Amino acid sequence: MTATETLPPQTAVASGGAVEVDLLVVGAGPAGLYAAYYAGFRGLRTAIVDSLPEPGGQVTALYPEKMVYDVAGFPGIKGRDLVAGLVEQAARFDPVYLLGERAEHLTNEAGHRPRAGDRLVVTTDKGTRVSTGAVVITGGIGTFTPRPLPGGAEWEGRGLTYVVKELAAHAGQDVVIVGGGDSAVDWALALDGLAASVTLVHRRRHFRAHAASVADMEKGATVLVTDAQVDSLEGGLMDGVKRLHTVHVKHKDGAVTSHRANSVIAALGFTADIGPLETWGIDIVDRKIMVDTAMRTSVAGVYSAGDITEYAGKVRLIAVGFGEAATAVNNAATYLDPDQPLFPGHSSDDPAGIGAAATA
Amino acid sequence: MPYVIGAECIDVNDMSCVEECPVDCIYEGDRKLYINPKECIDCGACEPVCPVEAITQDRRVSDDNEPHVADNRRFFVEILPGRDAPLGSPGGASKVGKVGVDTELVAG
Repeated sequence: MTATETLPPQTAVASGGAVEVDLLVVGAGPAGLYAAYYAGFRGLRTAIVDSLPEPGGQVTALYPEKMVYDVAGFPGIKGRDLVAGLVEQAARFDPVYLLGERAEHLTNEAGHRPRAGDRLVVTTDKGTRVSTGAVVITGGIGTFTPRPLPGGAEWEGRGLTYVVKELAAHAGQDVVIVGGGDSAVDWALALDGLAASVTLVHRRRHFRAHAASVADMEKGATVLVTDAQVDSLEGGLMDGVKRLHTVHVKHKDGAVTSHRANSVIAALGFTADIGPLETWGIDIVDRKIMVDTAMRTSVAGVYSAGDITEYAGKVRLIAVGFGEAATAVNNAATYLDPDQPLFPGHSSDDPAGIGAAATA
Repeated sequence: MPYVIGAECIDVNDMSCVEECPVDCIYEGDRKLYINPKECIDCGACEPVCPVEAITQDRRVSDDNEPHVADNRRFFVEILPGRDAPLGSPGGASKVGKVGVDTELVAG
């Protein structure tokens, strides 16, 4: 079960739409989700954008099953449970979730570099346009993207894919899956019986995936090709369209074997890169955003919190990210309305803990 | 507080860790792989996949591998043989490709 299945985000917006909020949070990891909660507490209309399809950032993507022992108030909590709790905490204020969308550009309403006091516009790779008063960047280690299959570039969209969007699309196909982790093995299991054939190519003899899943796969019809790597992909014109048809695999002993394939699914893990943020005009050093004690970046109205920030004495922990998120949001609240106090009040002042949102 | 690759990696260069690293911070020398301490995010994904158990957190290395804590760093901050500048933090090993040389400690 994933965090989103535990508690689905309340509001989702169709890609390509327009969203108008007071605060946009960029990155739905722990710091970003907590920022969304705090923004709601301050009575700010909030949206949260993330390139991954579910909230939780690094925790969801890299270690959902890992126990975390240093979050205040939790002697021990599983990564995915922490994320589910953060989603639930923020849900009280109904933030708008833009998941599976990467924040690409930051401008003002006129499409220029923003100046102090300008309303900000962030557009995503899916064409969604978010108009906002302020931004809090909680981008962690950046955008996750699938690790590319060497030599695969020309076959992307012509038979090579990095994610399985619909299992049914592979019905009756010869499928070659590359990789040895959980994703590779889970896809092999899901496609066994649905595809005409499933071949799994892994460069080592042992699989990193859960032992139980590997055992299930070994009982099925999936052809396992281990100690081997994809050497090259080959295709040709089919009904006038260039399509992949064969995968050549090089074995450890130097032999090359060929495998029929309508589809190659490369599950080689993810890499992260702060990518588009580097074009936002923010002061960034060694892929980290420089902030002051109010979590202000070098661009007015743009704040930052969590692993992506840098300052003297920085400690990169979830615990610290939470504090920075609260600092960033409360300072953003006074930027948006200078008559507002910096201090938000205590969540315990109100029986329901809903802060300024009660009067908003 | 990064992870560190120890002497067990020398002449093994299995590369499983390279596939696992989410920030692509494990660089290939000649005889050994090196983790860039400035780019490592301490996630630990590399540690269990190493077939020769060469990878540990810097604060838990065996006495034998203690010199490799500084040596992983040295690979990036010192000028390696045949180069005119330190590697620094290129932000991804795949951008750099095989470096092909080692630190003095590893080259032997």
